[in-house]
Amino acid sequence: MISSHTVITVVRNFMFNIFSISSIFSIINKLIKFFSSLIFIALAVGLTFALLISPPDYIQKDSVRIMYVHVPSAWLSLASFSIMTLFFILNFVFKIKNLQLINYSIAPIGLLFTCLAIITGAAWGKPTWGTWWAWDARLTSMLALLFFYVLIILSLKFISPLERSLKLATLFSIIGSINIPIIKYSVDWWNTLHQPASIKFSGSSTIHSSFLVPLFLMLLVFLIFSALIFLMKYKTEIIKMKKKGLNKYD
Amino acid sequence: MIKDLIIMNGYGVYVWFSFGITVFACAFLYYKTLKKLKKYEKELACKILELSEVERTAELKKSKILNQVFLNYNK
Repeated sequence: MISSHTVITVVRNFMFNIFSISSIFSIINKLIKFFSSLIFIALAVGLTFALLISPPDYIQKDSVRIMYVHVPSAWLSLASFSIMTLFFILNFVFKIKNLQLINYSIAPIGLLFTCLAIITGAAWGKPTWGTWWAWDARLTSMLALLFFYVLIILSLKFISPLERSLKLATLFSIIGSINIPIIKYSVDWWNTLHQPASIKFSGSSTIHSSFLVPLFLMLLVFLIFSALIFLMKYKTEIIKMKKKGLNKYD
Repeated sequence: MIKDLIIMNGYGVYVWFSFGITVFACAFLYYKTLKKLKKYEKELACKILELSEVERTAELKKSKILNQVFLNYNK
């Protein structure tokens, strides 16, 4: 009979090897250079499609172009929070230092995209709904997500000792993760100003390919940007850790 | 053509504001992140330089990461 302790040890060793810092560090520089050279090409193509080639919508006219920055921002804010929560839980169970560093690096990216989703959403709401803001289910749940990001970042930054700050951040991320399906399904569960999802991963999307192509190109730009920022932040966190290790000579 | 692109049937102010704030916020985060990375790289390299010859050799031999940062900084 295998005990749960043995299982945890085996999984922990496996994950420790995968997330080994020194093996990852050697490829970070190469990846940063690769994404830095790629982002300008992707941005030029994405913006050309979003602002020039994409046609105006027959109801929303040119305001539909806001979708190309609003939707990828919203998707990335939800994805970042989900990944962060998963890593906080894994770190809580297996105590892998590298997962902490990954979460430190993801949090600011998620916060940025949540702010952008809310601000560009307001700029899209004014011409289409006639108001910048409404306390509707989708908008309010996105605002709640923003508060959870702020709480997590503040607890990681200002609370000591480290164990307590990690526990608190894990708790906030778990509570905040309840909000993720609420954000996703709020437009189906309640009558909201916000339109229901037009792009479905299961079933057919109700959006024409002339809008889908620029949308996915801009998503690609946002993904490359996120990867670049993540790698730079992650490298900074590793260097910070190494610097602390050298303090023994002080 | 350019006027149409700017005005966008009266929606230009909302569209350009959204794209503008996105580009500005992303550029700001990129700048802050890069600045912080360079600062810590420099501090770590200086810390390695402050070590005695023996300690430095031992640390650089022990850690691939320190070695890479130190080499990159001295390029």
